[in-house]
Amino acid sequence: MSRALARRLPDVTAYAFLAVLVVLVVFPFYWMTITALKSETQMRSLTSMFWPDPLVIDNFRHLLRQTDFGAWFKNSVTVAVTSTLLATAIGTVGAYGLARLRFRGRAFMSSAVLITYLVPPSILFIPLYAQIRNLGLADSLAGLIAAYPSFTVPFVTWLLMGYFESIPEELEEAAMIDGASRFGAFARIVLPLAAPGVLAAGLYAFTQAWNEFLYALVFITDVKLRTLPVGLSSFITGDVYGWGFLMAGAVLTTLPVIAAYIYLQKYMVEGLTAGSVKG
Amino acid sequence: MATPAAQLRASTPLPRTRAQISLHRVLGPDYRLGYLFVLPMAILVLALVAYPFGYAIYLSMTKKYVGVPPVWVGLDNYIKLTWDGFFRRAVVNSFVFTFGSVAVKLVLGIAMALVLSSRIRWRSFWTGVLLIPWVAPTVVSALNFLWIYDYSLGVLNYLLVRVFRLLPHGIGWLSEPGTAMGSVIAVNIWRGFPFFGISFLAGMKAIPGELYEAAAVDGAGALQRFFRVTLPGLKNILIIVTLLSTIWTFNDFQIVYILTKGGPGGATQVLPVFTYEIAFGAQRLGEAIAVALYMLPALAAVIIVLARYMRRGQRT
Repeated sequence: MSRALARRLPDVTAYAFLAVLVVLVVFPFYWMTITALKSETQMRSLTSMFWPDPLVIDNFRHLLRQTDFGAWFKNSVTVAVTSTLLATAIGTVGAYGLARLRFRGRAFMSSAVLITYLVPPSILFIPLYAQIRNLGLADSLAGLIAAYPSFTVPFVTWLLMGYFESIPEELEEAAMIDGASRFGAFARIVLPLAAPGVLAAGLYAFTQAWNEFLYALVFITDVKLRTLPVGLSSFITGDVYGWGFLMAGAVLTTLPVIAAYIYLQKYMVEGLTAGSVKG
Repeated sequence: MATPAAQLRASTPLPRTRAQISLHRVLGPDYRLGYLFVLPMAILVLALVAYPFGYAIYLSMTKKYVGVPPVWVGLDNYIKLTWDGFFRRAVVNSFVFTFGSVAVKLVLGIAMALVLSSRIRWRSFWTGVLLIPWVAPTVVSALNFLWIYDYSLGVLNYLLVRVFRLLPHGIGWLSEPGTAMGSVIAVNIWRGFPFFGISFLAGMKAIPGELYEAAAVDGAGALQRFFRVTLPGLKNILIIVTLLSTIWTFNDFQIVYILTKGGPGGATQVLPVFTYEIAFGAQRLGEAIAVALYMLPALAAVIIVLARYMRRGQRT
């Protein structure tokens, strides 16, 4: 082996590994997209497997006209946006309180939030369902909006606590010496500096709410009130059954999340690594 | 402990009663704003997590059917479960599913972090691409794989039989007991490994470059540098990420529910799906909660260890 090749070898291995990982990650999405654009006949005949021929939008048309997909999309937007705004507001002030303000019970509360973040929904879904029913919120979007903060708030709080702790305390002290109140220092100095973190946390909360499946499956029985994850998966058990429009639905469900992610990738990657795991 | 700001407050010449001052001393200098800011969160945690959790423990000791008041039965549900064949099978399956998946995610995550920290072009672009399974809706991923695994029209059998000619005929990936568990594990791995990768990558960036230089000067090869510098430097993150993923994987409902609903013949029946079926298929709520809580001592132990590591991580 020549010396030049030996020096190059790590690069070649890295690219080879990268290629394998990228193909594994991207292929299912590629397959989903071309399936959505194939005609029913082409799909059944196993011809031109990896490119739609002819390229048709019938699946999307069928999805939007003959199923409840539009209603589910609207439900998902309503639930995800409302619960995200709620969670981000509660989580932001809570995280600031726990990270910066000195009061009795702070350490206990921090632990409580972290443990709450770690308790899985598969333990809570039955008693939560009972509680939502008692409140008369079963089978309503309000029930989901009320329940989703149980996982988004601890997550947002935990992520932002790390973020607030990384902002130098001297900035607030200086503002308070200049006459700002404790609240003023938070609202005018810290909050603007923490904006990227709040944005990242909000986006993650949105993604979690948008993707949530178990509570939506259990709390909602009315077909028209389903959210996208449950609605989409009901295509595989329902009487209308077709991979084409199912994949069309999958494409439309993925788009909002991926669009937000591409646009704000930098913040989201940093947010994830800064707050949730720091070693 | 007292910061300049706190001292300033304490010495402000505003009229302040004794009670107020002693409240400050007992409850801390920022108690008013502090409680105000934390209150909404505290209410939420109490109402949506602590109360349901307590109620769950109570319900698990009752016979409870939907719409009928619960009847106290003590530990009966737990005792019955201990000897229940279906439950035992779900426990074993859950452990196979969790450990099989976490082990592979760990290895793939390290590979991903090593690749993304090496000298490649467009690093941040590739980082973004490899994170997509983690941000994409799980329901979409599960449905994608359901379609990829499809016996007659799925692309996996097409590739293996017609393109690469590795198999004489297709396999019913999710409908045969021999392959179903491996197939659902694969989907969980696919969705979860980017989280390992991105966390390790962040951890690697925090390892001081001098350590690598010193190791290189001492004549350590690439492998030695990995085992002597990289892995020890990642220890905390490795523990945190592995424990987090263990909790999440053990409690993963969606992937198994969509792909197999626990079938064929219970081959992929894991605890969360089993819980759901007893609760909403058989309508036996008390028993279902007992299934969910049976592993609570183990879960609590993992959570306590993990919480300790995470808090330590956030302090430094």
